[in-house]
Amino acid sequence: MRKMKGFRLRLAQFLLLLLAILLLLPMVQTFLYSFSSIGEMKAFMKTRGSYDETQWMEAHLIPNLVSLGQYHQILIADHTVLWLFVNSVMYAALILLGQALIIPPMAFALSKFRFPGREGIFFGIILLMLLPFQVTMVPNVLTLRSLGLINTIWAVILPMWFAPFYIFLIRQFMVGLPNELIEAAEMDGAGTWSVYLRVILPVCRPILGAAAALSFAESWNLVEQPLTYLAARQELQPLSTMFNQLASENTGFEFAGAALYILPALFVYLFFQEDILSGIQLTELK
Amino acid sequence: MYKKKSLVLPFLLPGLAGILLFYVAPFFGGIWYSLTDGSYENAFVGFQNYLNVWQNPMFQLGLKNTMELSLICSPSLFLLSFVLSVLLNRMRPAGAFFRNSVLLPYLMPSSAVLIIWLLWFDYGGPVNRILTLLGQGRVFWLQGQELRLPVVLLFLWKNLGFCVVIFLAALQAIPESLYEYATLEGASFPRQAFSITLPLIVPSAFLVFILCWVNAFRIFKEVYFIGGAYPDEPLYTLQNYMNNMYGKLNYQNVTTAAYSFAVLVFALFGLLFWMQRRAQRGLT
Repeated sequence: MRKMKGFRLRLAQFLLLLLAILLLLPMVQTFLYSFSSIGEMKAFMKTRGSYDETQWMEAHLIPNLVSLGQYHQILIADHTVLWLFVNSVMYAALILLGQALIIPPMAFALSKFRFPGREGIFFGIILLMLLPFQVTMVPNVLTLRSLGLINTIWAVILPMWFAPFYIFLIRQFMVGLPNELIEAAEMDGAGTWSVYLRVILPVCRPILGAAAALSFAESWNLVEQPLTYLAARQELQPLSTMFNQLASENTGFEFAGAALYILPALFVYLFFQEDILSGIQLTELK
Repeated sequence: MYKKKSLVLPFLLPGLAGILLFYVAPFFGGIWYSLTDGSYENAFVGFQNYLNVWQNPMFQLGLKNTMELSLICSPSLFLLSFVLSVLLNRMRPAGAFFRNSVLLPYLMPSSAVLIIWLLWFDYGGPVNRILTLLGQGRVFWLQGQELRLPVVLLFLWKNLGFCVVIFLAALQAIPESLYEYATLEGASFPRQAFSITLPLIVPSAFLVFILCWVNAFRIFKEVYFIGGAYPDEPLYTLQNYMNNMYGKLNYQNVTTAAYSFAVLVFALFGLLFWMQRRAQRGLT
């Protein structure tokens, strides 16, 4: 690719730098604030919502006094936030586990087997993928209700196991794999399962990593499903639905809670960043 | 490529059964719901539910807001991510930091960031400070019509990364020689972006555009984060209406609203698909 030079390059870099700072600032600010003392944060957050023309909120980024008070509060003194965090971990783990067992085999079936109805099934999956949540929520609810699963954790987890988008994503990657891979393994006497486990899954590493990261991001930020399906069960909510309540109650430890919630996502990103880029790049997305 | 049909079953069946059970079968079963009155006898009422729901002012408001918000969100997300990816692509490999800073928010829980948003857009907060420095008056960001801006910005912050990834993947597949030739011919940078890059990535761009729409229909998430469960009127989305009806166990209205919306969405996507076909034929 042609490189930009001189002034134009500087200008582009400056604009990108500005944007990068803006995009990263929410996370940085959350971490910085999480090290203020509870009292300091309470006083600071109390200045919100004042419509006095002469008043400004204090502009500060660095805590006046570095303290682990907020972390002590949520990790040791009061376990409310911690339990919600554990709920989030449970949802993310169970959703990803089910997806790992169901979705890659289905993608394999739709890419490397020839059988009648294959194109029809794949077309149906694309249609489902394009339907907005408001629409797919309805069939999900009807089934969950007749199975008696509303207001249990499975109402959130089960429909996600069959998320059409990830079937599409992984299938598109597998279609691009050469058939010789399978033929060579068959010559050595490998059955379908051992081809799947020993040949297909290892070469699909980038897209599996990308799909896992994307699915984690979705499961870690659940809102619509728990709010709808678990409306009567406050104690089963993941932490993601509770932040605006935390913020409005002015607890003083909301930033430590937010930092705690950002941290796992940060690790997932650092671990999978190469896979996200190369996985999507090697996938036939058309 | 396996051709023996029985071999596919163990791979296909678990997923297919789940999709049929949770998505396809109840989808058709639900049509029956939308045509009955939900009473004890469950009498068939034809399209009466549809007429009722369409005339319901809250449904109209939710639909209107959802459409307006996605009409703001998806084109801006699309354009912003296209321009960004072109810039990022030119900066390789020095652009790793920039690329990471754009991608990172996609994996971040926007739920945890909403507190920062509430701070930034407070009446006495940084955004209004900057506005005052620029000589403008303060704005009530957290109420009424103005609430839409923070909501849209949170949506863009969160969703930019994924669109950029798809665009970047498509851009890196374009041969460099095309640009060298265009430069020799004296084509400017914006000219190259729109005359070479855009036509070559039409298929991926179309996918990004559609995904932008699908995501924009889920703006309820950002609305809930900033506006709470009972937002002001300019933010009352279709999801709010459906959650409300669902809470009242009014499945007739829930299904009716969902299917009305589905028809609209598919009409929209059908139109987009048709336009893409025509555009592509025009280019080749």
